[in-house]
Amino acid sequence: MDIGPVWRAMLKNKAGFVLIALQIAVTMTIMVNAFAIMQERANNVGRESGLDEANTFALASAWFDEFDRDLMKIRIDEDLALIRGVPGVRSAVASNSFPLRQGGWSMSLQTEPGSQSPDSIGSAIYFVDEYGLDTFAATLIDGANFTPNQVSWQVQNDDTWPATGIITEALAKEIFPDEEGSVVGKTIYINDNDPVNIIGVIERMQAPWPGWTGVERTMLVPQRRYSDFQRYIIRTEPGYRDALMPEIEALLANSSKDRLIRDVTTMEQVRKLAYVGDTAMIRILTFVVMLLTVITGLGIVGLASFNVSRRTRQIGIRRALGATKPAIVRYFMTENLIVSAIGLTIGGILSVALNMVMVEAFSLEPLAWYVIPIAMIALLMVGQAAVAGPARRASNISPAIATRSS
Amino acid sequence: MLNMKKVSKTYRTDTVETHALREFSLTVDEGEFVSVTGPSGSGKTTFLNIAGMLEELTAGTYELDGRDISKLNDKERSKVRNEKIGFIFQSFNLIPELDVFDNIDVPLRYRGFNADERKRRIEKCLDRVGLTSRMKHYPAQLSGGQQQRVAIARALAGEPRFLLADEPTGNLDTNMADSVLDLLAEINDSGTTIIMVTHELTLADRAKRNIFVRDGQISDGPPELHFAAAASA
Amino acid sequence: MFRYYLKLGSLSIRANPALSALMVAAIAIGIGACMSIVTVRHVMSGNPVAHKNDLLYHVQLDNWNPDDPYEDPNEPPEQVTYLDATALHQAGRAFRQTISFKSDRVVQPEGEDARPFQEEVRATTADFFAMFDVPFEYGSGWDASADRAEERVVVLSAAMNQRLFGGEDSVGRMMTMNKEPYRIVGVLSEWRPMPKFYDLNNNPYEGAEEIYTPFSLAISGEWGSSGNNSCWKPLDGAGYEAYLASECIWIQMWVELSSASERDNYMQFLDDYVEQQKALGRFPREVNNRLSTPAEWMVNREVVDDTVNVLLSLAVLFLVVCLLNTIGLLLAKVMRRTSDISLRRALGASKSALFTQYLIEAGMVGIAGGLAGIGMTWLGLRGLENVFSEYDFISYLMTMDWTMVLYAVLLAIVSTLAAALYPTWRACSVSPATTLRIQ
Repeated sequence: MDIGPVWRAMLKNKAGFVLIALQIAVTMTIMVNAFAIMQERANNVGRESGLDEANTFALASAWFDEFDRDLMKIRIDEDLALIRGVPGVRSAVASNSFPLRQGGWSMSLQTEPGSQSPDSIGSAIYFVDEYGLDTFAATLIDGANFTPNQVSWQVQNDDTWPATGIITEALAKEIFPDEEGSVVGKTIYINDNDPVNIIGVIERMQAPWPGWTGVERTMLVPQRRYSDFQRYIIRTEPGYRDALMPEIEALLANSSKDRLIRDVTTMEQVRKLAYVGDTAMIRILTFVVMLLTVITGLGIVGLASFNVSRRTRQIGIRRALGATKPAIVRYFMTENLIVSAIGLTIGGILSVALNMVMVEAFSLEPLAWYVIPIAMIALLMVGQAAVAGPARRASNISPAIATRSS
Repeated sequence: MLNMKKVSKTYRTDTVETHALREFSLTVDEGEFVSVTGPSGSGKTTFLNIAGMLEELTAGTYELDGRDISKLNDKERSKVRNEKIGFIFQSFNLIPELDVFDNIDVPLRYRGFNADERKRRIEKCLDRVGLTSRMKHYPAQLSGGQQQRVAIARALAGEPRFLLADEPTGNLDTNMADSVLDLLAEINDSGTTIIMVTHELTLADRAKRNIFVRDGQISDGPPELHFAAAASA
Repeated sequence: MFRYYLKLGSLSIRANPALSALMVAAIAIGIGACMSIVTVRHVMSGNPVAHKNDLLYHVQLDNWNPDDPYEDPNEPPEQVTYLDATALHQAGRAFRQTISFKSDRVVQPEGEDARPFQEEVRATTADFFAMFDVPFEYGSGWDASADRAEERVVVLSAAMNQRLFGGEDSVGRMMTMNKEPYRIVGVLSEWRPMPKFYDLNNNPYEGAEEIYTPFSLAISGEWGSSGNNSCWKPLDGAGYEAYLASECIWIQMWVELSSASERDNYMQFLDDYVEQQKALGRFPREVNNRLSTPAEWMVNREVVDDTVNVLLSLAVLFLVVCLLNTIGLLLAKVMRRTSDISLRRALGASKSALFTQYLIEAGMVGIAGGLAGIGMTWLGLRGLENVFSEYDFISYLMTMDWTMVLYAVLLAIVSTLAAALYPTWRACSVSPATTLRIQ
C-alpha cells in the first residue's frame, strides 16, 4: 500500500487522528514508566536475603516479672540449650533482629578513630554467638567464625563493644575500597573510638531494612544482651520447619509462667510483609497497563468504526472502481500504522521526559533503553489488532452503494 | 420584501478563486412566487444559501423586509432565519430519530414558544398539509411525498414571511410532485412569498415569475436553450 | 429549553448505545483510577486535629552532633532528649504541654485461663487528652498531681476496655501489667487519629495506643522506648540513669499555645533555654529550634509516601488517556451528525444554542461517567485493599467519604466538559449551508 494517498486523506481529517496519536503517546508513556517501576520493584523482591528462608523461623520471648540480670542470663542460656536440643533443629541463635524484619540496629563504622572521621559508613549490626553464621546460612569466604570464648554479655544501655566482628563482602568493599587483598585482621572503629578487629568475611547477609540503599552492609558481633525481650532465630533441617514451629513455641511458653511468646513467623511471611509495597506496586501497575491497553484499543476500534461508517460511500466507490477487499483492509491498516508511528514517536519522547522527572522527583532508577522498543512493538500490535475488525467490515461494503441514491 | 443589490460571493481555496455570484441584483416583492433556474454551477445554490442567510456574502447588500442583514451577527442571523424564512429541501432533511411532531417542533423550540403555542402551531400545520393522523410516526414510516409534506409543515410552523424551496420535488414521483406543488401554490395564494430553485422547466412554469441564472448573474437568454445544455451536461 | 436539550441528549446517547457506553466506561475508569488514589492520599494526608491546627505545636531542639546535622541540610532531630523534655515540661511555659513515648508492656488479664499479651503503652502526661481532644466514654484522664506523684493509673481505649472488661464502665477497677497493679481512671470512646499525628515515627497509619499511663511512672519503672531512638554520642556510663542523662532522642513533645504572640514568646523561651544549656556545655550546634503545626509536621515527616505520588501521577495520565478517548469519540459522533447540525442551523438554531445542546449532552455523559466512576473508585479501593492486605491498618486508608464522592462526580463532569469543548466547537462551526444538498 502506498502511504502517500493514505497520508493525504488523513490530512483532511486531522483532528481525529491527532487524538488517537496522542492517546497512543500517553498510553505508551504510562506503559514505559510503569514498566520501569515494575522492573525496579521486581529487582528488589528478587534479591536474596542470605537466609535459608524455607527452613528458618523466628519467635520472640518477653519476660514480664521483675528484671534480674543474673536470672536473665540463665534463662537465655537455658532457652538456647533447649531449642538447640530439639531433634530437627540445625542451629539457633538469639539476635536483636534478622534480615527483612524492617527493624534493627545500625551504627557508623570508620577506618580511623575519632568523631571527626569523614569516611564513616552506616552498617546493620547483628548480635550473635558462634551459631550465628550457620543459623543465618552465611557462607564464610575469608577468615574464621567466632569462638565461644569471644562471645560476651552486654549490660543494658552499656556501650562497650566486642573486640571482634564479621562483615559482609559488600561492607568490606565499601569500607576498604582500595584493598585488593584480605581485610581479615584489619581494624575498624565503631562508636567513634571502639576498635573492632575483623576476623571473617561472609558472602552475603542483608540488613533488616529491605528499602535501605545499604541493605547489603552488615556486621555481626559476638555478644548477647541481658534483656527481658529476646528474639530467637531457628534454622531447621530441610522439611522440619512447619512441625517444629508450634512445638518450640509450646516448649518455650510452658517453660515459665512469667513470659509470653510472640511474633512467631516464618521467613517467608517476613519476606512477604517486607515486600508488600513492591509486590502491590507490581500488581497495581500490571493491572493499570492492561486496563489502559484495553481502553486505548477500544478507542481505536471506536474511531475506526466511525471512520468506516462515515466513509461507507467512498469505500463503495473505491470498490466499484476495482479496489479488492484486501486493498480496503490494507488501507485502514496503513492508516493505523501511520497514526501509531506518530503516536509512538511522541510517546517515546514523553516517556523519556516523564522518566527523567520521576527519577528527579521520586528518586527512581532511570529506565532501561529496551523498554521503549518493546512498548512500541506491543502498542503497534494492539493498534493493528484493534483496527482489523472495522477494516474487515469496511472491506465487506458492497460496491453497489456507489450507484445507490443520488 | 427581498432586495439584493450587486451581491457577490467568492469562494477561495489555496489555489483557486471561484466567483459563484457576481454583482447579482434581484428584487422580490411580497406575495410573489419566483422560480430560479440555471445550469449546474450557475450559482443557483449560492443564491439560495445567501437568500436563506446560510452563508455570508462577499460584497453588495442584501435587505430583507427593509432591513440590511449583511451586517448581522450569528445570533441575529439565526433569529431572522428562524422567524422569517422557511426551508424546503430536495431530500426533506427530516431528523430520523424524531417523530413527525418533534420534527416540526424543532424551529419552534429555537423560537422560544411555550408548549401550548408550539402544540397549537404544529397541529395547525399538520392539518394544513393533511397529515394530522401521522403525528406520532417516524420519517422512515412515511412515503417520500408525506415526508416532504412534513418538511413543508415544519417550514410553515413558524409562519415565515417567505419560503425557500430547493428542488422540492426532486426526489418525488410525478403524482407526489404535483400534489406538493399544489400545496406550495396554495400557500403562496394565502400570502407567503416563495422562491423555488429548480432545474425542471415544468416546475418553473408553476411559478409566477422565472429567473434564469448563468455564471453567477441573472441572464435574459431563452430558458429552453439552457435547459437543453444543462441536460446534456 | 434546558429540558429540550436533555431530551435531545438522551436521544443522541441512546442512538449510539455502544459508543455511549464506551465513553461512559472510559470516563468512569479514568475517574475511578484517579479518585481511588486521591482518596488514599486524602486519608493519608488528613489532619485529625485540623480544628486546632493553629494552636498545637510540635517542639524540636537541635542538640545534635556539631559536625553533622541530624538530617540534611540542617534539620533538628525529630524527637527530644529526656533532659530537655522534662525540663521544658516542668517549666510549664505553654498553655498546655505534653511529653510522651511508647513502650512494650505485658498485660495480664484476670482469670485462670486468660493469656497475657504484649501491648504498646503510651507513657504521657496529663495534658495529652485535653490537647488532642481525646474523647472519653467513662471517667477522664489523670491530672498533673498524678504525674507528680507517679500514680499507678491508666486510661484504656474503648477496644482495650472491651477486651479486658467487656465494655463495662471500668473506672476505679484494677488491671495488671508486668505483674504490677494499675487503677483505671478513664475509658476512651472510639479514637483513631489518621495519621497518628502526635507520633509519626515507625508507622503513622497504625492506630493510637490502647493504654495510657503517666510518663513519670514509666520513668521510675525504667521503661524503654519501643519507638525510634537515636544517639549521636556514646553514653556517659551504663544503665538507665546514663540513658536518661544522655543526648539520645526518643521523646515526642507537643505544646498548645493560644495565640501568635504566645507562640513567639514560647519560641523565645526555647531559644533562651538552649542558650542557658549551651553555657552548661550542651547544644554544640547553632540554635535551631522549631515549632511546627500538626499540618507542617506531617509534611515535614513526609507522611504521604512517594509511592502514592508516583501512582497519582500515573493515574492522572490515565485519566488523560480516557479523556482523549472521549474527545475522539465525541468528535467522531459530531462529524457523523453534521447534517443534523446544519439542518438545525438552517431552521434557526444559533451557534450558542448548538453549543449549549452539545455541552449538555456531554455533561450527561459526564454525570453518568461520574456515577459509574464512584463505583469504579469503590472497586479500585477494594483492589488496593486486596493487594495491600498484609497491612492490618489498610482498611482505614481505604475509606470513601461524601466529599470524595462529590469530587468524583465533579471531576467527571468538569473533565468531560473540558473534553467536549473541541468537538462542540467543531459542531458549532459546521456551516448551515454545507450539507443540505448532500443526500
